[in-house]
Amino acid sequence: MTDIVMTATVVPDSQVTPELQYRVEQFLYLESRLLDDRKFRLWYDMLDDDLRYTMPIRQNRLRREQHLEYSGAVEAQFFDETKKSIDMRIRRLETGFAWAEDPPSRTRHLVTNVTIFHVCNEKIQLSAYFHVYRSRLERQIEHFVGQRTDCLKITGDSYSLLAREIRLDQSTLMTNSLSFFF
Amino acid sequence: MTEPFIESEMLGATRWTSAAICDLVDENKGSIDPRIYTDEQLYQLELERIFGRAWLCVAHEAQIPNAGDFFSTYMGEDPVLVVRQVDMSVKVLLNQCRHRGMKLCRADLGNAKVFSCSYHGWSYAINGDLIRVPREEEGYKNKLIKSDWGAIEVAAVELYHGLIFATWDPQAPSLKTYLGDAAYYLDTFLSRHDGGTEIIGGVTKWVVKANWKFAAEQFASDMYHAPLSHLSATLAAMPEGTSVSKAEWKGTGYHVRTHQGGHGTGFFSAPTEAAQMENIQILFGWMGEDASKYYYTQAAENLRQRRGDAPLVINGAHMTIFPNLSFLPAIQTLRVWQPRGPNEIEVWAVTIVDKAAPQAAKEQWRLGNIRTFSAGGVFEQDDGENWVMIQDVLRGYRARKTALNTSMGQGFAKPHEHYPGIVGDVFSEEAARGLYSHWAKMLTTDKWATLYD
Repeated sequence: MTDIVMTATVVPDSQVTPELQYRVEQFLYLESRLLDDRKFRLWYDMLDDDLRYTMPIRQNRLRREQHLEYSGAVEAQFFDETKKSIDMRIRRLETGFAWAEDPPSRTRHLVTNVTIFHVCNEKIQLSAYFHVYRSRLERQIEHFVGQRTDCLKITGDSYSLLAREIRLDQSTLMTNSLSFFF
Repeated sequence: MTEPFIESEMLGATRWTSAAICDLVDENKGSIDPRIYTDEQLYQLELERIFGRAWLCVAHEAQIPNAGDFFSTYMGEDPVLVVRQVDMSVKVLLNQCRHRGMKLCRADLGNAKVFSCSYHGWSYAINGDLIRVPREEEGYKNKLIKSDWGAIEVAAVELYHGLIFATWDPQAPSLKTYLGDAAYYLDTFLSRHDGGTEIIGGVTKWVVKANWKFAAEQFASDMYHAPLSHLSATLAAMPEGTSVSKAEWKGTGYHVRTHQGGHGTGFFSAPTEAAQMENIQILFGWMGEDASKYYYTQAAENLRQRRGDAPLVINGAHMTIFPNLSFLPAIQTLRVWQPRGPNEIEVWAVTIVDKAAPQAAKEQWRLGNIRTFSAGGVFEQDDGENWVMIQDVLRGYRARKTALNTSMGQGFAKPHEHYPGIVGDVFSEEAARGLYSHWAKMLTTDKWATLYD
């Protein structure tokens, strides 16, 4: 997916109509709302059965080694999930014993700079910037900013999330628990 | 006669006497004073007398395979560069320019021919020699003796089954002596199979706003928290509908305090085939079939042949090598708790696997660690929650005055016929008492000999 981002042109694919842009944005906004409303099962239903959901780690590398900044596909990641493992994470939240989310965090997923760069074979490839605000308990505040590169599968009238790569603009992660979703 | 206050090299006289520090961790009462987690002067003493002297794990050999490869890490709060030399030996250098103290290298890792300071340009060879000083003729009139101003090097480096350890203290005992009883368990973890171990690429780093000893103690000593703290993860990681009892490790649980050195471990040893079959299912659930199969068959058989002693296939094990190296055999996470003041840790975690393990098993361990023991792991999330909350509570005056209970299993641990150390029931705080007693000893004595009485 990285390569596609690199080669994306500024001129959108001719198939990127205002209507498509609108529908894709609405899909992303719905995801955000469900996550922030803690309706994780409804969000789960938006995921494709073949989902790949990853967040590489990001290392401080010398400029001449910039190509090695992000960890690779078979290296350490903060997330490397399938629909099944997302299910495991949601089941944990549903046990009633998930202390890091009980009382639950307050999150707000702001999604912006939505750029569709490829539409073909019933798939839509896009990137978006995000700012996830998280407030926990009395006064813990955390901010997570970065870029998501997504692939949506067109399923009838709607979409399902087939792939998401989350690139966080942090090297050392400034939280003790990634107990929420991006 | 009043006892003198302990002199810190950095702070001068502290308001702590040896007796006062020893009173903070009372083995007989089975209690600790929570100021060990919050006091700034004690923290400065820890940097000098623990992190400034102990053997610390700085890297795995696999992180620096080629000459010039470096890995940037910390010993306490001191930044160091672990560098593979041309002759393939390893040097550990203070990551600080000798001219004005700038960090020599600001990358996390990479390959270098020289380390050149970005402030004024003093340049060091990968062995630490100062080799180039700008304006040496005009500015220094050629009077600078460069050989006196090389990068500071640690007192000693030792390799142990792929792990690289270093100490600042020329008086420190050998690593083998330092590890003592812990070596047996470390060997079980790192030397199960010919060929040793490797690291799955990349270090995950995250911040926990809590004192480093909460983490070190838990991994040394605390099987007690697992059934409750990790209940949600234990249930979620197993197939849907699995009962809690099916998700608990089977067998006899042991808890180990090393005779000396403050290290600790705990684990379950399954005495029967049936019990072991259940344990295989747990590791299957947490990591995957290939990882579980490899661990319980090929790796177990190899270990048995290599060692030929006690039932060595250990389940659900946790361990800390004092002060801040912890790991979970079978899960295969290995981490260093980097202290960042009394109130914060940076966790630096890697997944470590046997080189000989099949590729599919290695991949399952990679994924399994992301999902269980890492910043986003379903187990680890709840550890952070506990430690951060305690640290927060300890802002309170009454809270800091309130002694905490560390009495579990007191008086019941004793030497064991197979397992080195002082061994008790898996649900015990013997290793915690050992860790804190050693902590107090290291803070109050400047002689290594007295630490191994």
